[in-house]
Amino acid sequence: MTPGLLLPAALAALAAILVPLAIHIARRSEERPVVFAALRWLRQKPRPKSRLRFDEKLLLAARILLLALLALWLAHPVLSGAAGKAAYVAVAPGADVAQAGHVGEEAVADYGRSHWLAPGFPALKEPVPSGGAPIASLIRQLDADLPAGTPLVVVVPAVIEGADAERPRLSRRVDWRVTPGAAPAMRATPVAVPGLSIRQGDQAAGVRYLRAAALAWQPAGRAADVEIGGVDAALPPVTRKLVRLDGGTLPAGLLDWVEKGGTALAASDAVFPADADRVVVWRDALGRPLVEAAPIGTGRLMRFTRRLAPAEMPELLEADFPVHLRAVLEPAATAPARVSAADYAPATGARHFEPPPMDLRPWLAVLIGLVVLVERWLATRRRRAVSP
Amino acid sequence: MIDFLPPDVRSRLKGLRLVTRRAVGGQGIGLHQSHSRGAGLEFAQYRAYERGDEPRQIDWKLYARSDKFFVREAERESPVAVWILIDASASMSQADPVRPEWSRLDAAKALTQGMAELALRQGDRFGWAALSDQGLKLLAPATGARQRDRLLLELAPLRAGGGFARDEQLAPLWERIGARDLIVVLSDCFEPGVIDLMERLSAAGREVLAVEMLTVGERDFAFSGGHRFRDPETGEELVGDAPALRAEFLRRFTEARAALHARLARAGVRHAEHVLDQPLDQPLRRLFGAHDAAEYA
Repeated sequence: MTPGLLLPAALAALAAILVPLAIHIARRSEERPVVFAALRWLRQKPRPKSRLRFDEKLLLAARILLLALLALWLAHPVLSGAAGKAAYVAVAPGADVAQAGHVGEEAVADYGRSHWLAPGFPALKEPVPSGGAPIASLIRQLDADLPAGTPLVVVVPAVIEGADAERPRLSRRVDWRVTPGAAPAMRATPVAVPGLSIRQGDQAAGVRYLRAAALAWQPAGRAADVEIGGVDAALPPVTRKLVRLDGGTLPAGLLDWVEKGGTALAASDAVFPADADRVVVWRDALGRPLVEAAPIGTGRLMRFTRRLAPAEMPELLEADFPVHLRAVLEPAATAPARVSAADYAPATGARHFEPPPMDLRPWLAVLIGLVVLVERWLATRRRRAVSP
Repeated sequence: MIDFLPPDVRSRLKGLRLVTRRAVGGQGIGLHQSHSRGAGLEFAQYRAYERGDEPRQIDWKLYARSDKFFVREAERESPVAVWILIDASASMSQADPVRPEWSRLDAAKALTQGMAELALRQGDRFGWAALSDQGLKLLAPATGARQRDRLLLELAPLRAGGGFARDEQLAPLWERIGARDLIVVLSDCFEPGVIDLMERLSAAGREVLAVEMLTVGERDFAFSGGHRFRDPETGEELVGDAPALRAEFLRRFTEARAALHARLARAGVRHAEHVLDQPLDQPLRRLFGAHDAAEYA
């Protein structure tokens, strides 16, 4: 709990306090002329030291306080280390708190510092957050948010979902408690070879490359899952990938199909909808775009930028063409994120970042508002002396 | 009609008489307010004969001319003249902040009129003089309503200014004040010249009475805060914090006035004090009232 100022030079605004002081100096002092004939009996006394006196001291105090608070507000006060040093208990969904040792009971008893290891870190008394969460990322976030020296207790189930490729390296030693149980699975990741539906038109020469790629996706010995039709053939189900090798404007039926979640790849001479936000999803070795994509509805519409001919697009003949094509047609599959908790205990040695200090300006603004009200009340109340 | 006297003061003045101690036994007997009609040196007026008038008072020569009886009335001069000397120096223009239109000089004018009315009622002659170094104003003593009106007319434009009259300016005064005249000085008694004049007049056999005109500020010094005190006669200024000066001033002022009273008593000058917030008749009661009156403490 160390208060500080981010902009101490703004305290020069404190010089404005001189203004109300000057206003409130008793102006009647020493200057009211009085005719006084008996001056000779007044005279021999040494002149009294003129004291600086102020009118309306209460109002003056309110005004000085107001200006001081304004100057402080300009100086941007912060409170660093506002969080306490009590241990922070994070419980991953799926962990059994009751079996986490004495920390578990404390955590249940003291909800103030016990949270779920889930996005937003809800308190432990909230219901168990549903859905998976990137636990490693959340642990890193906790470590970065907590001030140095705060003990961190993480209660995890025996099997963690949401791990990433590296063991978390944290700035502090974590009390890593493994309890029986398994984290809820993050997402089912179907591994299926996409089926390809080709509608051939004026660029029918490219079909062979596509079919070869589809064949390469399959395990050895199985036929390619390719369905080829004319330009006007019926659209396939949205689970299949559609490649339309024809130029000109895309038919409205196709666009509707894409909007419902389909993935379509058009030929280079097809006309993209004008309002689509295009992103290049595949570049050649020189960085030139090969395929660009645009989201439409819940689906994706893509387009080759060159004709499907090896003269224009040598990548067709490369060995990794099927891989690239599949990467373009299918969203990236999530990497496996399941890990044994005992093997995933965070390591130490990361650099520690001081958490951002708490900004006191909103509270100060409220206080300033209150003082303004008090000042106005004092300045406009009925029983007031004349000026200022 | 110029009138400086409030009605209540006028009514309270009724029971008073201007008495002098030194004039007794000079001329005539008893009180000196002898508005005695009848034969005398100073012709006053003719009036028609009324039954009961002595035949010897009839002006027979006039009867011969007009075939009517007229009684010749004469007025004998009162042996006593009342001189009212008003200090018209600038300090007399001082008033109190709470009542800025009522200065010492205004109170002095009202007192002058009050004494003039008293003198007129008892037939004494009265005159006045305003003393300042900007010139002496003087009205020789006489009696009668006309004299009172002239006095009021001359009083009205009187303004205070300058210092007290110098000695050579006072010469006309010495020429006119009679040996047994009653002299009332209305002054704040701050200038030494006034005190000297009173002492010398008293030493010269006149009866001198003094009314000290004080302001409330001089008596109480109830100023608050800082002030720039200015002496209207010398122009000197003193800047000071009034509450800090108060105790010292009151002590010194009381001492000075005690010394003044002792000096006046040594010279045989009776004095009364008038503060501007007090009733106007109070100093006259102290000077001229019965000695057992409550106010004459």
